[in-house]
Amino acid sequence: MLEIEGLTAAYTHVPVLENVTIRVGAGQFVSIVGPNGAGKSTLFKTISGIVTPLSGKIRFEGRDVLAVPPPQRAHMGIAHVPEGRQVFPSLSVMENLEMGAYTEAGRGDWKENLEKILTWMPVLAERRNQLAGTLSGGEQQMVAIGRGLASSPKLLMLDEPSMGLAPAIADFIFDKLAEIRSQTNLTILLVEQRVAEALQTADHAYVLEAGRVVLEGTSETLQADDRVRLAYLGM
Amino acid sequence: MTAAILIENILQALVAGLLIGAIYGLMCVGLALIFGIMRVINFAQGDFMMAGMYCAFFIFGPFGISALFGNVVGPYVAAILAGPVLFVAGYLVHLFLVSRVSGTNTATLEGEGHYAQLILTLGLALILTNGAMILFGSQPFSVRSPLAISAWEIGPLWGDRVSVFVNKSRTVSALISVATIAALGWLVARSRLGKALRASADNPTAAIYMGIDVDRSHRIAFGLGIAITAIAGGLLATNYSFHPYVGLEYVIVMYAGVVLGGMGSIMGAFWGGMTIGLIQQMSTLVLPTQLQNTAIFVIFLVIVFFRPQGFLGRSAERT
Repeated sequence: MLEIEGLTAAYTHVPVLENVTIRVGAGQFVSIVGPNGAGKSTLFKTISGIVTPLSGKIRFEGRDVLAVPPPQRAHMGIAHVPEGRQVFPSLSVMENLEMGAYTEAGRGDWKENLEKILTWMPVLAERRNQLAGTLSGGEQQMVAIGRGLASSPKLLMLDEPSMGLAPAIADFIFDKLAEIRSQTNLTILLVEQRVAEALQTADHAYVLEAGRVVLEGTSETLQADDRVRLAYLGM
Repeated sequence: MTAAILIENILQALVAGLLIGAIYGLMCVGLALIFGIMRVINFAQGDFMMAGMYCAFFIFGPFGISALFGNVVGPYVAAILAGPVLFVAGYLVHLFLVSRVSGTNTATLEGEGHYAQLILTLGLALILTNGAMILFGSQPFSVRSPLAISAWEIGPLWGDRVSVFVNKSRTVSALISVATIAALGWLVARSRLGKALRASADNPTAAIYMGIDVDRSHRIAFGLGIAITAIAGGLLATNYSFHPYVGLEYVIVMYAGVVLGGMGSIMGAFWGGMTIGLIQQMSTLVLPTQLQNTAIFVIFLVIVFFRPQGFLGRSAERT
């Protein structure tokens, strides 16, 4: 579904991504793990068009993503739940979700999507008229995920959904993602620093270090890999 | 006896303040879209208003609105029609000029491109003022409706003494202002376009992730802001004469109104403008007319001292 080939990106001559190749098949849950500054968020921003790569290809369902203007990429079916949540603070929870449904597909499925989102995350129904900027971090993360789901995406990209959250709340978010996945069979691409959780839920994973893919495989292979166990799982 | 005269004067100033305040409010709402919400510093806002005034003048005369609607209604129709014309002007100015120094382009620039905006819009202001000077000369124009010199008499309210005169033209202008603001308020608060505009202003990057064309949203918001102020200009022109330098007199009022109302709040800007209109008219009761603007800014400073976030501004927004 998503094919990234030989992607290289840089911020003013400092390379952030070097020759990154990643594949996400339809219905797969793929995790990208790695330390801070490995280029994980830059990878997502390149897919969404906020960062322009120096070279490489990105294809989504066979279409050349880099040829599509950034605001149009959401309409292709790519939902980006950004790092640090990035909700619209002065819009209500409901309006945030409506903005998620800005895509044509999202508008068409608005009622069903909304019902599902509010069933998965009932706290959003309670807070529907509250300004998103006044919510707690965990609630904002739920708004961000709900906003992504409201677009009826084919691919949901999640950038560090656990960032800045208390461990218990982060666990709750991961449980929700697993629940959503099991009910929808949505294709998910997850970037995460919490390696254990990210590997547990994924089918396939990549380890990104200093802008390069240093390891890839099924999550079982990676969980068993000595380097991963030593560097990320503390075993 | 003197008490009656005093009450009459106060009521008269109050009515005049409310009526002119409604138009100031509209003017400020236009700037609030551009400065309060998009955080673009537009020095030329007053001169776009001036352009709206001339636009209303030419729509009224040469474009035949006076023939179509007559001299009584015509000026108001011309004022409203100045809106769409200036919307297009504002849209294009943003597309070709302002977009280069604002929005996603300038996130990495020093001061988020505000210095460049200052220079650009100051330049635009000079071009507009001097362009109008070359084209129309310095003699005052007006689009005065016959209603401007007639009034309703309310009263006598107390015995046979206290009665208030309400200028018909200003009342019509104030009503059009309020209606325009209500329409804009609906557009921004409820419509899909309005929500997309607010989302784009809140977090441009996230708005792009949603599939919103942020550059287009900014152009529309800029055009709308210019159009709203132009309508206010057209309405002022039905009561007052104007000249190419008129923008300078009002741009300061607009910024004061937006800050007073609270940055980022559209309704706040309306109340800010209304407050300025009221202070201006009420101050004439105790001060010579030349000190009107001084009174505005003294009270402005006092209000901002006690409530720096403005009437409806949030003190800690944008987390």
